[in-house]
Amino acid sequence: MTMKQTYNRRQFLKGLAAVGATALLPCRFLVPMNAEAAAFNEAEFTIFRNACPRNCYDTCSIKTYVKDGVIQFIEGAPESTYTDGGLCVKGYSYTRRPYSPDRIKYPMMQDGRRSGKWRRVSWDEALDRIAKKILELKEKDGNLLGMGMTKYSGNFGITNYGVEGMMSSLGYTTRFVGTPCWPAGIDAQNYDMGNMWCNDPEDMAKAKYIIVWGANPAWCSVHSMKYIMEAKRRGAKIVVIDPVFTQTAAKGDVYWQPKTSTDGALALGMAKHILDSGLVNQDFVNNYSYGFEDFANYLNANVTVEWAAEQTGIPAKDIKEVAEEFATADPATIWIGYGMQRHTNGGASVRSIDALVAMTGNIGKEGGGARYGQLQTWGFNYHALIQKQPEGSKGFVGNAAKGEFDFTNGTEAQYSDRTVNINKTAQVILDTKDPAIKMLWVSCKNPFAQDFDRPKLEKAFDTLEMVVTVDQFFNETVANSDIVLPVTTLFEEWTVNVSYWHYWLSINEQAIKPMHEAKSNIEIAAALSQKMNALSPGSCTFPQDIDTKEWMAKEFNKDIYSYFGIADWTELRNGPVKAKLKTSAAWPDHKFDTPSGKYEFKSELCEKNGHNALPAFKERRKHYAAFRLLTPHTKFGIHSQFINLDWMQEYDKEPFVYMHPNAAAKKGIADQDMVRVFNKVGEQRVRVKLTDNVSEDCLLMYEAWFGKGNTFNVQNLVDDESADMGAFKAGAPGVAIHDQFADIERI
Amino acid sequence: MQKQYAFLVDSERCIGCFTCAMACRNYYHQEEGIIWRQVYPLAEEIYPHRERAFFSLACNHCANPACLNVCPVNAYTKREKDGVVVHHQDKCIGCGNCIRSCPYGAPKYNPVAKRAEKCSMCHERLDADLKPACVQACPTDALQLIDLAELHQTNEVQYPAGFPKMESVNPSTRFILPQMPKMVRR
Repeated sequence: MTMKQTYNRRQFLKGLAAVGATALLPCRFLVPMNAEAAAFNEAEFTIFRNACPRNCYDTCSIKTYVKDGVIQFIEGAPESTYTDGGLCVKGYSYTRRPYSPDRIKYPMMQDGRRSGKWRRVSWDEALDRIAKKILELKEKDGNLLGMGMTKYSGNFGITNYGVEGMMSSLGYTTRFVGTPCWPAGIDAQNYDMGNMWCNDPEDMAKAKYIIVWGANPAWCSVHSMKYIMEAKRRGAKIVVIDPVFTQTAAKGDVYWQPKTSTDGALALGMAKHILDSGLVNQDFVNNYSYGFEDFANYLNANVTVEWAAEQTGIPAKDIKEVAEEFATADPATIWIGYGMQRHTNGGASVRSIDALVAMTGNIGKEGGGARYGQLQTWGFNYHALIQKQPEGSKGFVGNAAKGEFDFTNGTEAQYSDRTVNINKTAQVILDTKDPAIKMLWVSCKNPFAQDFDRPKLEKAFDTLEMVVTVDQFFNETVANSDIVLPVTTLFEEWTVNVSYWHYWLSINEQAIKPMHEAKSNIEIAAALSQKMNALSPGSCTFPQDIDTKEWMAKEFNKDIYSYFGIADWTELRNGPVKAKLKTSAAWPDHKFDTPSGKYEFKSELCEKNGHNALPAFKERRKHYAAFRLLTPHTKFGIHSQFINLDWMQEYDKEPFVYMHPNAAAKKGIADQDMVRVFNKVGEQRVRVKLTDNVSEDCLLMYEAWFGKGNTFNVQNLVDDESADMGAFKAGAPGVAIHDQFADIERI
Repeated sequence: MQKQYAFLVDSERCIGCFTCAMACRNYYHQEEGIIWRQVYPLAEEIYPHRERAFFSLACNHCANPACLNVCPVNAYTKREKDGVVVHHQDKCIGCGNCIRSCPYGAPKYNPVAKRAEKCSMCHERLDADLKPACVQACPTDALQLIDLAELHQTNEVQYPAGFPKMESVNPSTRFILPQMPKMVRR
């Protein structure tokens, strides 16, 4: 396939070079020593403001350079001190994304799932099929609970919550709630502090001691690294704790490689030493905390540094040294990564780490804090999300769980949506009855690359009568669908974006017209509404004609304007703005949102929800195969996004499994061998790279989707075992992504 | 010394994120298979942990460029004002002399244009007082634009291990070597 659009900036630059060099010269060999292309001239471009919406800490503010209606290149917005004029390897590949020859261009229908027999249909025909199926389900079941919606974080642009809005406007449906990402830690921080709230990451530069615990910002939050490096330059010590010698670890002063999933024991061992050494911050524990004495009693009765050393494999003298340094540095902070809580004891571990930060008086302090994430900047109207069910709609009776990004205030209704656990997608599709889920709408998500136990997922999808997927590329989820609808990229719609880490707000302008026949998620909702009402008047309440710019504008309110210090959203066209924070610290006045109003070392709420009231030790999951299997993020993608772009494949050609040379020798495996990684879930064939970046009992495969001709999928090896926490705030428990085991052999 | 712009590759700060490489592609849209800037992991003999320390490399804009010296049609110029080595693709006949003679492999053959090409140090951006795309993109300032005539740093090296020592061309790129953390491992 070739591109017809004249979007190639390179041709344009070459043209300039030719004009610059030759027009002035009588003879082509008489090149003056300063011959050059004309200087870069910003005025030749129309510049648009965009923001990366793809579930990443950094949520970069983008400047988009357009000429002749075509994106020529993009760069980071210089106004954001966080993005600081740069993007990341993924962001810079965006220029290719709207124009990728592999994009889904039109609505298409597949004759037989996984048959690959796709045919182009009109929007009208596709929506007709979908609408008739919805009406059929409603007719048969008397409600629409047979229609499921699974959506997650492929596009966090606020107007994309119109997908949920569309579902509500059809009636009460079945929603996949929860998050595979961070729920155990969210619950942990909610028990401890009453909310999840982190310091401005930019203030990490002020820290005198930083522990990066189970996070890899060098790959997953590149713009945060400059603050860590700045702190280091100012004399701070950087300790990185991770079972893998990550790129972040390589940049620290000290790297600890504990046994996987023993983080709780490590934190408790440090806490015990701080207690024994008299380094507890008495002002904080006496005045602003609840239950510290119980915690201290627990530590005295159950924890010794030697025990922690045995549990974790980190020598007692090192635990003591870092604990003392951490407790005496002022301010000191811990970045709690999402990776370390994806365990059956992940929530308990996060609580133990929170306790460490709290007992040293570092919560509420600039440059300090137990940093996990924040939703302070998410105070939008959720206009696209909040839609009314058609009159007379019937649904689930009773109160169902709500998802992590549900900002609606619960109103008592006779009916509600039915909620199922997003982390057990396959199992709930197989198990749900009365009515069974017969139709599934997938958007902003690639379940076959993200959801767990992929072999089971295929079986589950086979029970569905209709699968509609809204996407940009023909991924594996699309292959398991009947109808695919092409959706716009961030450059083709209006929306607005904030981060769950930094405090910047960015607008997403429509920089180019939608390519091919792509529509935004809210335009799709409107088109479906038109069709529904044409077939059955009153069957859908979603507006039938919308303008993405108007809808974006409706997401703003007075509170947001005042929080960010702007009078109107149009000011964002001049560049991103940062929240007007009185202080960069979270919890600066030590007034916590817990039942006691204090930091809760002891949480009765936590106990009521089935866990230990104290940040107590929790055993890790038992092995079910020879090696621990870790499947963290790659630097070349966000989950399954970006990996398939041709530009990315220039630098990331093939997936690997990483293995320690000693372990490989025992198995007769040499570097670059093709191997089979297998466990009770399934198997994956892949090439091996030997490295001591992983320990001898670990295998490491980066989560990714490679696209054409490559079936690599780590979800062939990850089961859907739940983490300990997550149901309290996110609606469903997290998933123990890193509590997986596998064996390996040479093919 | 005359002004000579150069890339400073600070491997102590470099996180191997490939942002510089992709920023170049984002700006110039190279044809498939043509890479002007590449990020190379250091061999384990140099840095003992695989893929954890890197050199980001493009054209070195040498003091005595081999490419310029062998080009039969004067398609290369070295700018007097800043030492940037510019390849004029409109003059190039695609003979491949530069590709064969550059000891660092900077010029690449473009099979579509049937001519050579290489990193231009974004000289059209330099002339507009902008940084090269790769330098602007680097999130940790590991890749910087420096002028060798005004070099004040003392810890940089011209020929680190793994980087071929080619004194005849006198490459401009300078390096700061990576360090290692204290490691506590099982």
